[in-house]
Amino acid sequence: MQKNLTAANSSQKLMVFVLSMSLYGMATLFTELIPKFQVGIVEFSVEYFLFIPLTLAILFDPMSAALGAATGELVFSEIMLGQFGGLGELEKFISVTIGVMIAGKMVKDPTNKKMVGIAAITGVAVQQLMGTIVDILKVQFAVEDFEAVAGLPESVYITEGFACLNDILFSGILFCMIPTILLVPKLYGKIEPLLGMKPRTKDSIVSGVSPKLVIGSVIAFAIAIGAEMLAENGMALIDWEASWAESKTALAIGMVVAAVIAVVVLAVIRSKSNSGKESA
Amino acid sequence: MKRLSENILDKFSIDFLKNQVLKNAYGNNDTVIAALDPRVLLAWYLFFGIVPWFSHNAIFLLGCFLFVAATTRLAKVAGLVLFLFALGVFSQTGYLLIVTMFFGGDSSAIMPLLVLTLKVATVSLASITVFSGLDPDKLSNGLMWYGVPERLSFSVSYAYRILPMLMEEFQNVLLSYRLRSNPPKPCGFIGKIKYLAYQVKVVIQAFYPLMLNTAKRSRTTVEVLEIKGYRYAASSREVRKMRLSSLKITSGDLMFIAVSFLWVSIICLVSTVI
Repeated sequence: MQKNLTAANSSQKLMVFVLSMSLYGMATLFTELIPKFQVGIVEFSVEYFLFIPLTLAILFDPMSAALGAATGELVFSEIMLGQFGGLGELEKFISVTIGVMIAGKMVKDPTNKKMVGIAAITGVAVQQLMGTIVDILKVQFAVEDFEAVAGLPESVYITEGFACLNDILFSGILFCMIPTILLVPKLYGKIEPLLGMKPRTKDSIVSGVSPKLVIGSVIAFAIAIGAEMLAENGMALIDWEASWAESKTALAIGMVVAAVIAVVVLAVIRSKSNSGKESA
Repeated sequence: MKRLSENILDKFSIDFLKNQVLKNAYGNNDTVIAALDPRVLLAWYLFFGIVPWFSHNAIFLLGCFLFVAATTRLAKVAGLVLFLFALGVFSQTGYLLIVTMFFGGDSSAIMPLLVLTLKVATVSLASITVFSGLDPDKLSNGLMWYGVPERLSFSVSYAYRILPMLMEEFQNVLLSYRLRSNPPKPCGFIGKIKYLAYQVKVVIQAFYPLMLNTAKRSRTTVEVLEIKGYRYAASSREVRKMRLSSLKITSGDLMFIAVSFLWVSIICLVSTVI
């Protein structure tokens, strides 16, 4: 029993999840709402407050903190503001989870500031790089004849690469690494008792980057890219079906007729049921 | 310049943000969209959130865009959200257009970019309609019906309730930091940078007490949930049935689907004829 105190039980994991979700969610809500300001071509955006989940992942169970952060971002800044973007959100969810989890697992001893700093910047870099790769792929798939449009491929590589570098160097160091280095030692030993846990030590089971984690991350990232690839294949499938039908126009006319019938029938049913209610 | 920045800062006070978010969540329960069944709306969203990505037909995309724009109008979405949407769509593709021009692209680059803009705009307007039009409890019930992990639907309803409290607490912490400290004067260019750095520092520092307070709060939340049998309820079929019994598909829902279908088939027809 005594040995298990350092590993969190499931309700404590839920606590970490809720904590990370609400804090990071609120922070991303702010960053979503605060306008970005630009100095020349360099965009100084407070891209995100990733230091919050990073700190929590280093102090507590990395998996719960990472999932909580990704869920928080999804719920608070995407769903609540109605900016849910479909396919793109899966990629963001996975990259945030992987980035934060790797950072959290890298740290063995939270009091070691150097290691905390390295872990924080690694987490940010991993997350940003994945986002950039998927962004480039997304534009390539969404724009027909990507290579044929003059100047477009270079511009996408340049803008995306530049944004990525800018985010890692500017937001990464200023808003993620430095706050994490400051906050982790300050919170260490103080925040754990509030959740009824013991502080994380060198021999806690949660730390250490295992090959399993790396493989898992690669697979998850492949799924994120796979969603985009599938989109492309799905498109080809639809085209194929359409050419198989004898005439697209005939098919479309059939659809319109069916839809008109459906609307009329529903309207009639509705008016009947309404009048029925009134008379009854 | 100074007045302008002050003006913007006034507009973006925390109270303003809080009001807009709450208005967006709970302010419009009487619209046509809010009266629909969440399951129907989610299925509808699945169509308008995915199909535009696969089409390169400008007429089809334009038709979809006009339709979701109409539904967004029906949902009476808060102004701030629409503003952010416009800013997001046009800053992204506009920037890409300028850089493309810079690298020797000509007017032939405009058409693909226009198609891309239409796609992005359609998909995000559809999501604005669904996720801001529905109130959070309905939304989380709808998600639950589709078998989305219990944690996500829990997070949705929890988020809407905890957010006003969290924002208020964050504001209080910020104010108490401001009261106790002496900010640098925002005069001149260097002074402005110093002032900005000070602001950022205060915001980051404010998270220290906030983290501790929220840790306490989330422990209380989870303990209360455990007492109420949350983890058992999440996996129990009977509880799920009880929670979902309020969902009902009415003739209005069917009408909504039928009208959407009619519109889509018309634009299909138009795009094949032209």
